Amino acid sequence: MRDIATVNKPPLGANERRLPRLVRFFEDIVKVPLFRCQRCGECILSSTAFICSQNCPKRMRNGPCGGTRDDGSCEVYPDRACVWYKIYVRSRLLNRVSLLYRFNRIHNWNLEGTSSWLNVLRKRIESPIWFVRDDQRDMRP
Amino acid sequence: MTLKEKIESNRFIVCGDIGPPQSCDGDVVREKARHFKGYVDAVNITDNQTAIVRLSSIASAKILLDEGVEPIMQMTCRDRNRLAIQSDLLGAAALDILNVLCLTGDHQKFGDQPEAKGVFDLDSIQLIATVSQMNRGFLLSGYEMKKAPRFLIGAAANPFAQPFDMRIIRLQKKIEAGAQFIQTQPVFDLVSFTRWMERVVALGLHERTAILAGVMPVKSPKTFLWMKEEVPGVKIKDEYVERMRLARDPEEEGVRMAVEIIQALRGVKGVRGIHLMPVLWESITPAVIREAGLKERG
Repeated sequence: MRDIATVNKPPLGANERRLPRLVRFFEDIVKVPLFRCQRCGECILSSTAFICSQNCPKRMRNGPCGGTRDDGSCEVYPDRACVWYKIYVRSRLLNRVSLLYRFNRIHNWNLEGTSSWLNVLRKRIESPIWFVRDDQRDMRP
Repeated sequence: MTLKEKIESNRFIVCGDIGPPQSCDGDVVREKARHFKGYVDAVNITDNQTAIVRLSSIASAKILLDEGVEPIMQMTCRDRNRLAIQSDLLGAAALDILNVLCLTGDHQKFGDQPEAKGVFDLDSIQLIATVSQMNRGFLLSGYEMKKAPRFLIGAAANPFAQPFDMRIIRLQKKIEAGAQFIQTQPVFDLVSFTRWMERVVALGLHERTAILAGVMPVKSPKTFLWMKEEVPGVKIKDEYVERMRLARDPEEEGVRMAVEIIQALRGVKGVRGIHLMPVLWESITPAVIREAGLKERG
């Protein structure tokens, strides 16, 4: 069975949320202004070239929907750029295209609003990938 | 012979497309099914397309089955969370609906009730992975079912939207997640499509999934204009619009154009079939199929 969703995690109780809330405060200071973080608690910024994919109106986690316009704008809000278009352009720039092949798991809504940093430490979510090995860089189609 | 067997046996596939009505009138679906029966291998049933409430795709698919037409049920992530999706899929399997096309779904903004909450609990790739897992006998929770469904999993691809490289990545991800056939957006730009297909073939993706190219017979110049302005992700070469505008009989020209595109597509390496989507013009299907010489596919 492939691991496509975080399963069998009970909802986080109030006590369990106290420490996360504190960490979250500091995480917000960094992530909200820098990445327009949407606080999903299951951060995949490292595989999306440090652009928050959750700004997408459809909250796509695995690439753009079929509606990106020719100029790279969003089908829902034509005056905005498609989030995944930006992600792709920056992934090329940072040599991180190979990370776009990753399957991002189904979002665990229990983690919404919790601290991703703590979730990584507690092994609730996958850890970020900081460096892409040289031989993995050129996985361009 | 089911669609699955036909895909496995390397035949040229022809799919149709039906949009259910905005009412509970099942006869509309029956009537539309008649235009496809005997002409296509299977027919897509759209799931509240363009975010407008319609007769549900499961019920319509069941009506098609009863009419003797094999349905491909579309399943979108806009209206259902993971619980509803899995339960609807089980329901469909129990009704012998075995083909499912996994889509993210149009954003609710495009419909007539833009104030609705868009669910988007899964995206299309996660949905494909979910159906694959159900085929292996497990629900998302990890629960092992006593009887596993046997879905043929389809997905969509748009060869014409930006960013083009990302489209190939998405296609690859969809195939890895378990997509057994792919339907593309309607082709009105053979050059771009051929270029996309060349990359697909170079990666060998056409051998891992059956690629069905979209073909849309257009009834009037107005339809073209509407599609150009309103439907995102559809790319139409100006020459087609111009031809349509100058045609004395737009309907005849529409058929001729569709037939031309089908014949060109049959020559493109890697294309395993076509997906005919005569939106609001289902009655033209037999004419297009006959003129394109697809009736005697055997």
